[in-house]
Amino acid sequence: MPVVFAAEINGLALAVFSVILALTLVITYWASRRASSADNFYAAGRGITGFQNGLAISGDYLSAASFLGIAGLIYLYGFDGFLYSIGFLVAFLTVMFLLAERMRNAGKYTIADVLSFRLRERPARVAAAIGTLNVAAFYLIAQMVGAGVLIQALVGFDFTVAVLLTGTFMLCYVVFGGMLATTWVQIIKAVLLMFGIVVMSLFVLERVGFNPIELFNRAEEAGRGEGSTFSLGPGTFLKNELDLVSLGLALVLGTAGLPHILMRFFTVPTAKAARSSVVTAMFIIGGFYILTTVIGFGARAILGQGGVEAAGKGGNLAAPNLAEELGGGAGTTGGDLFLAIIAGIAFATILAVVAGLVLSASAAVAHDLWSSIIRKGKESEKEEVIVAKLAALGIGVIAMGVAILGGEGLNVSFMVGLAFAIAASANFPALLLALTWSRFNTAGAVTGVLFGVVSALGLIIISPIVWGGAPGAPDTGAFKWYDLNNPGIISIPLGFLGCYLGTILSKERGAERSFHELYVRSETGLGAEKAASH
Amino acid sequence: MAERPIDWEAIERSPEFQELVKKRRSFVLPATIFFLTYYMAFILLCAFARDTMGESVYQGLTVGYVLALTQFLMVLVLGLMYLKRSANIYDPLAEAAIADHVDHEARVSSERTTAEREARDSGSAGTGSRSATSTTGGTA
Repeated sequence: MPVVFAAEINGLALAVFSVILALTLVITYWASRRASSADNFYAAGRGITGFQNGLAISGDYLSAASFLGIAGLIYLYGFDGFLYSIGFLVAFLTVMFLLAERMRNAGKYTIADVLSFRLRERPARVAAAIGTLNVAAFYLIAQMVGAGVLIQALVGFDFTVAVLLTGTFMLCYVVFGGMLATTWVQIIKAVLLMFGIVVMSLFVLERVGFNPIELFNRAEEAGRGEGSTFSLGPGTFLKNELDLVSLGLALVLGTAGLPHILMRFFTVPTAKAARSSVVTAMFIIGGFYILTTVIGFGARAILGQGGVEAAGKGGNLAAPNLAEELGGGAGTTGGDLFLAIIAGIAFATILAVVAGLVLSASAAVAHDLWSSIIRKGKESEKEEVIVAKLAALGIGVIAMGVAILGGEGLNVSFMVGLAFAIAASANFPALLLALTWSRFNTAGAVTGVLFGVVSALGLIIISPIVWGGAPGAPDTGAFKWYDLNNPGIISIPLGFLGCYLGTILSKERGAERSFHELYVRSETGLGAEKAASH
Repeated sequence: MAERPIDWEAIERSPEFQELVKKRRSFVLPATIFFLTYYMAFILLCAFARDTMGESVYQGLTVGYVLALTQFLMVLVLGLMYLKRSANIYDPLAEAAIADHVDHEARVSSERTTAEREARDSGSAGTGSRSATSTTGGTA
């Protein structure tokens, strides 16, 4: 790896990074010594407890976009930033009521397992793999770019070095440690993240005498300055009404189609553990999102309008800058230390998310495409694991390449929004209907996934954000009749419509017979994959 | 897909299974409709009633924020309610519905080999474990 450092390296932040990296490598080494069966590689031997999985789901879900991005948006815009938090959290009710236990009971390693259970195997797996790979690709590249930008700003590494570093460690966890290492990286990250945000919140609240209302008042006062976009009410960031509704819909249904989150339910021994892990995650993630307000408002009250420029594009650096200020200010030992710790936590956050994403994508390639389509189920489990590792390497290298080539110019939140929109429009309808609608068939699943992916992608391509139509920017020649940045409100109904039309227009009826087995199995857990015996 | 020696349709018809599905649905369906409605109503208010949402309830606390906090409350309350109902009602019913098959399955699954799993994964019905069936037979 070429060591091209930028001018200023933050030594303390580098030290914190090194400690976190060393810890994750020890875990990976420990995990790599366990048996390397497919159950272990994809699902950690199904031996993760409900509570551990709840932590790991939080670690998988709370990306740097959640931590730095939402805190930054609340700092810049106030209430509108908080709307993301609510959508991301309420989404877990969708996951809990509709999918978590059913997935655990019916599936093995991937979303495609659930679809192909009752549908014709090959088309169902290809469709599911297309959905999974699209979501994972956009999410992964977004996280990689985010990682590069953040590490560059926080530690001082060059963007390219930062992306390579993130990608290399991510691949280390996945290739050598599989799901077990990935899970523990996610658990450690969740603990670190919660620790960081709680400590920071206490520092903020201490300044206002532990009176949250006083924090609101001070934030509002500080937000009155000229040029400020801050507001305690909606409308300063998400100005287009229909776009807001579309985003809200994509957030609440998208989580239930995220392959790396759904895959986590295969790591627990029973549906009961899957259920308790969702509730654990709800408490952790809910607590976290409540505190994003404290951080965002705290940054507004303490850094004021004067800190907007230093917070960078999208306000991503508001939280680290606030930490520095809370620790005693720039140049002080306390300030440097607090900044270094928050930077280290942000780094751990990214690592845990990208590892989960790459694992889910490699499972789609090896388990769904290679094993079932190319080898038609004839290869050995050992070969499948090797293919999965090679796939992880390939996907990781491509993601690093795209992130470096696309560079800092790639819009991170747009790609995360796209990932959620595809997940909600392509994966969610097909999964839900496969588990609940007896008439549903292969043609329906394939049409639904294609409708979802194509409409979400197509609408994103013609959206104002792609055509440089930043809020308030002059007309750039975008499509005047279409002004939604989030396609959800159109593409999600289209995904369901595709499932419906494909089903009723085709003559295939065989899927109803195997529905009885899937139905009973998903509701009761009879015949579900067992935990590996150690 | 019917390689398992379990009569899935018979379980599906059993009173325990029917009761499980009925009871679970009678909670999950209204709860899902409720949370989606409550959440989307909040989103719609944020989009189309901005002035009202920005009004102060008490000093810096706005109507929007109070409603946002009730969303958090809703998630936690529904989560805990479902957890409790599952432990008290659904889990025992699910166990009862499959009680006749669990012992049997444990015996069969220990005999099941990787080859059979692969056979199932490739879409062809395995025959090995079906021969272990006594009377219930496959679903075919």
